Amino acid sequence: MKSTSRLILISLLPVFIGSLASWVMATWWTNVPVLLFRLDLAMLTFLTGLLVSFLAGAASFALFFTSRRHIRHLVKANIEHEESRRRFIRHLDHELKNPLTGLQAALANINSATNQQERQLSIENARISIDRLTRLLGDLRKLSELEHRPLEQLPVDVASLLEEMVEAACSLPAHADRKVNLLFSRVPWPLSPVTGDRDLLGLAFFNLLDNALKFTSSADIVEVRLFEQDRQMVIEVADTGCGIPVEDTTRIFEELYRGANARSIPGSGLGLALVRRIVMLHDGYIAVRSQQSSSPGTVFTLRLPLTYP
Amino acid sequence: MLMPTRQTLLLVDDDPSITSGLAAFLERAGFDVTIAADGESALQKHAQSHPDLIILDVLMPRLDGRETLRRLRRAGHWTPTILLTQVGESTERALALEEGADDYLNKPFDPHELLARIRAVLRRSRPGQPSLSAAWILSSGNLLLDRRARRLLLDGKTLNPTPKAFTLLEYLMTHPDECITRQRLLDAVWGWEFPSGARTVDTRIAELRRMLGDDPNHPTFIETVAGEGYRFAAQVSSNLP
Repeated sequence: MKSTSRLILISLLPVFIGSLASWVMATWWTNVPVLLFRLDLAMLTFLTGLLVSFLAGAASFALFFTSRRHIRHLVKANIEHEESRRRFIRHLDHELKNPLTGLQAALANINSATNQQERQLSIENARISIDRLTRLLGDLRKLSELEHRPLEQLPVDVASLLEEMVEAACSLPAHADRKVNLLFSRVPWPLSPVTGDRDLLGLAFFNLLDNALKFTSSADIVEVRLFEQDRQMVIEVADTGCGIPVEDTTRIFEELYRGANARSIPGSGLGLALVRRIVMLHDGYIAVRSQQSSSPGTVFTLRLPLTYP
Repeated sequence: MLMPTRQTLLLVDDDPSITSGLAAFLERAGFDVTIAADGESALQKHAQSHPDLIILDVLMPRLDGRETLRRLRRAGHWTPTILLTQVGESTERALALEEGADDYLNKPFDPHELLARIRAVLRRSRPGQPSLSAAWILSSGNLLLDRRARRLLLDGKTLNPTPKAFTLLEYLMTHPDECITRQRLLDAVWGWEFPSGARTVDTRIAELRRMLGDDPNHPTFIETVAGEGYRFAAQVSSNLP
């Protein structure tokens, strides 16, 4: 506030100088024959001072309001960041509790098992909990490493990478009987490559495909579309599943956030957060459209900048 | 009848739940295990018991694993060592090269994986001599890999592999004549588990083979071990620092 008042005072300085100059010339130099010319000069100085004051005043007000808006924006971002950190810790606590409880139960059962079969079952349950913790830890490490991992910057053939990831997703035992439709727009011109890290982009595509297959049944259709638009490569992963509740669509990219549909489906809760991070590292963009009522379904759209020779 | 001598391991970790569990497992697997809880104690026990191999955690009180290993190497002790950490990208790799660890394993790990790694390191170790992992330049026939300069030469001509393919070849060459699973390669070279893991490794191996002019059916350098992984089949020699 102090600095703004100072700015206004400084901006008014030319007006004072202009007024003073015109008063001095009009009062003291009246005996000179070129009076009219001097009065004009004084008036001109005054008007120039006025104009400069006005411009400087306007600039200082603009600066003042912009900085206030900027501070408000920073405070808001800080509050959001804090809230997101608290949510992350809450979710992490939840994600750790379940497998640990499973492990405790398995250990208790191993101790009290009366026969080999019971013991074997407890060991198997312990292994499931360990796998869950390992997957969570692995995905957390990926997210943290993405922050400082150097990105490979090489031309990537997205079509062949998508084909590879579809094959990898469908070869998982959980999706053994599933099929994914691939629609690549290659006519009349072949698709251009994108520049990036093939392994990371593959991971992003796989996570989207795995989600699409996990949240749909074999009666549903899963489709991957690839085309160029506005100097970008557009990848769409669409499905005719039950859709995502509206309140979840804005938050599914958050770390460990699990939407209402996802709570009963196994996963680390970090898959989409990883996808978003990878896409951002490639200067790309990701969005989701979903509906649950009539014609339910979901479309994830990825946009990546194209490489031109 | 004389019983074969059991090989000795020095297990260094500050977490007793890890050392007691692993020591029991490794004893059952046929090793004699000595435990140390930090780097200083590890140096003392190394001087007393001269183990065949050291398993060294990195984060420890007083003297951490990296510094412990550096002190051992500076003193001219080339006891094979497995460092319990992950070797990620370039800076860590350069550091690892100077540390001179024989292998790396990242926590959490399956004890069976540690056992497999111990056996592999012991098999290829040359008593009292630095391992290939500590060499700056590796050569195999007309192939030369300069680990410091990250340069690869075939018949004196510079090749330009992608950074990942270079690191993959580097790993294979420092573990010659050893069948390395795709999973292990993913863990050691990529540091991550990838969903299409096997394919990810195969793509880079294909890139290397194309570059080296290596025929997969009659390989000179990289051999496919069906259903398992890959093996660097040619002999590797080192130019040590």
